[in-house]
Amino acid sequence: MSAPNILIVEDDPALRTLAMRTLQQDGFAVRPASSAPEMWNALEEAPVDVVILDVMLPGTSGLDLCRKLRQQSDVPIIFVSAKGTEVDRVIGLELGADDYLAKPFDARELTARIRAVLRRGRMDRQHDGSGRRGAKFDGWTINFPRREVTSPTGATVDLTGAEFDLLASFVDNPQRVIARERLIEMSRTRLGESSDRSIDVLVSRLRRKLGTSDGKVPIVTVRGIGYMFSAEVERI
Amino acid sequence: MAGTVLYDRASRLRVREDEAHRLAEHLATASNVILQRSPEERSIVVQRLSSKYFTVRWSLAPPLAPPMSADLFEMREQIIAWEPSLANHGLQLYLREPGRHSVVMGNFRLADGSWLTFKAPQLVDEHKFRIGWIAMMLGVAIALGLIALLMIRWTLRPLRRLSAAAARIGHGEQESIPEMGGDEVRGLIRAFNEMQARIHSLIEDRTEALAAVGHDLRTPLSRIQLRSDEIDDPDLRKAIAGDIREMGGMVSSLLAYLGGDNDPEQPQRLDIAVMAETLVDEVIDAGHAGLYEGPMHLDVTLRPIGFKRALRNIVENAAKYGENVLVTLTGPSSDKWIDLTVEDDGPGIAPEHLSDVLRPFVRLDPARSRDTKGLGLGLAIAARAIEREGGEIMLANRPKGGLRVHIRLPIRDEAPTQQ
Repeated sequence: MSAPNILIVEDDPALRTLAMRTLQQDGFAVRPASSAPEMWNALEEAPVDVVILDVMLPGTSGLDLCRKLRQQSDVPIIFVSAKGTEVDRVIGLELGADDYLAKPFDARELTARIRAVLRRGRMDRQHDGSGRRGAKFDGWTINFPRREVTSPTGATVDLTGAEFDLLASFVDNPQRVIARERLIEMSRTRLGESSDRSIDVLVSRLRRKLGTSDGKVPIVTVRGIGYMFSAEVERI
Repeated sequence: MAGTVLYDRASRLRVREDEAHRLAEHLATASNVILQRSPEERSIVVQRLSSKYFTVRWSLAPPLAPPMSADLFEMREQIIAWEPSLANHGLQLYLREPGRHSVVMGNFRLADGSWLTFKAPQLVDEHKFRIGWIAMMLGVAIALGLIALLMIRWTLRPLRRLSAAAARIGHGEQESIPEMGGDEVRGLIRAFNEMQARIHSLIEDRTEALAAVGHDLRTPLSRIQLRSDEIDDPDLRKAIAGDIREMGGMVSSLLAYLGGDNDPEQPQRLDIAVMAETLVDEVIDAGHAGLYEGPMHLDVTLRPIGFKRALRNIVENAAKYGENVLVTLTGPSSDKWIDLTVEDDGPGIAPEHLSDVLRPFVRLDPARSRDTKGLGLGLAIAARAIEREGGEIMLANRPKGGLRVHIRLPIRDEAPTQQ
């Protein structure tokens, strides 16, 4: 497989160069862009697998740029930002960015996020296009782009990134037994978020958060093999 | 007061005039009637002429009478003025029982030389008159007082709004007060609105400047971070990375603190029990002992990001200073409050510093030595977020040692949002 193509859109020259060098050392093919026009040019010239986009570019709102880019292409976008408030993060994700990295970040984090996004992108394209916005089961609602889960009483339930990914894996494979190893592999898409927690702990936490007062939880342990999601899933 | 007295005297004189008028009429009538009768008939006629307010008697000889009262000279003049025919008839007036219930008596010589004696109890009971009069004055005084009170309150109403708004300056949205009231009050309100605008503008400028500095610091920090990745010595690399993380943390907390009142976040319905559990999980993942006690689910309505940051700051503090962290959630109580406590078994806080610790930029170690990282904003940010939700935060030392942070939040009844 050829090296993935990364496009870095960052106006600070030193930071741009440093990031390029780091990523090249990690085996990526990196091209730089220092402004929005350069970004559009670069996108036309050659294929891009991931766009690293600085939210605060001179003259343009990074969020607007993201929205426009999303309208034209499915390319995975990772926001990098000095603003870094969580509200911005939520907005960024809402607009279609795939991840959000706050400055200052280190090289390892950047690389890990890029790999994760690439892996996720492949997984997403394995499913057919429909039903990717959300899903429902047992009165619960999942909103995939916003990575939000809402309880039957209409309250947002706080799941960590790893827990959400685990739930997403379950919801993608309802009424099918999933082996533990497979779950571990699927949960690795979220590297950098204390994912060295064992799968069992994750499952038990997820169970606790999805539990209702009558003790019904749609995650069933299949002894010796793994787990199964027993609820019926409706995609929206 | 003066007006009252003058009015009183004026009306009293007028009463005298009325009496004089009446007396004059009576006397004139009586004398005409009596003169037309024969002396034998006169004794009977005088009875018919008498009434409660005017009794008259006839005699041939002049009656014995005291000298005329000086008081009544004026009245005599008035009587004669009313009935000029009564002049030159030796009209004498005197007061019998002067005082409260005085009676005016008099003698009057008829044309044929006989005399009429008359008695006219004063028509107006002065005493009664006075009391009724005082009651009326009192009523008017009270009415005037009430009107004055209402007018003062109406005038002061814009001033009351002014002082309430002054207390709120700097703490949130700017509200101009509509100009109302008299000219001076309008002028004051206008000046106040302008001052409010200036203050808000000053605060915004400062906040923006500080926030810009914060943002701008992050790019050079990123550069140093990436450069430091190329350092061969792993210990040095880790140490520098640690410093950069610390600086990044300071910038984040500063921006979070400045974010404050202009936060566009809207309240949402969320599960606060799960939020608390998640934070306890974080503590456990970081290697400390953490425990959550409380319901599995509890729905509240508040701003998720602001509140989670507040709670996380408090829980992280607890984990920093103690080995065991306990988070308890109870509620809602009958008066619709939720109680959330975060306890640790660390050293607690000296009682004299308990209220200081919520203020921004306060760090308890006076020497600001190595172990206290950050700008000291964590609890200030937390306190502000909690207050924004209408809640309270209280710190206390536990009797068995350690700190107990108690958060109270009001339940807000809101229909669940549809997805």
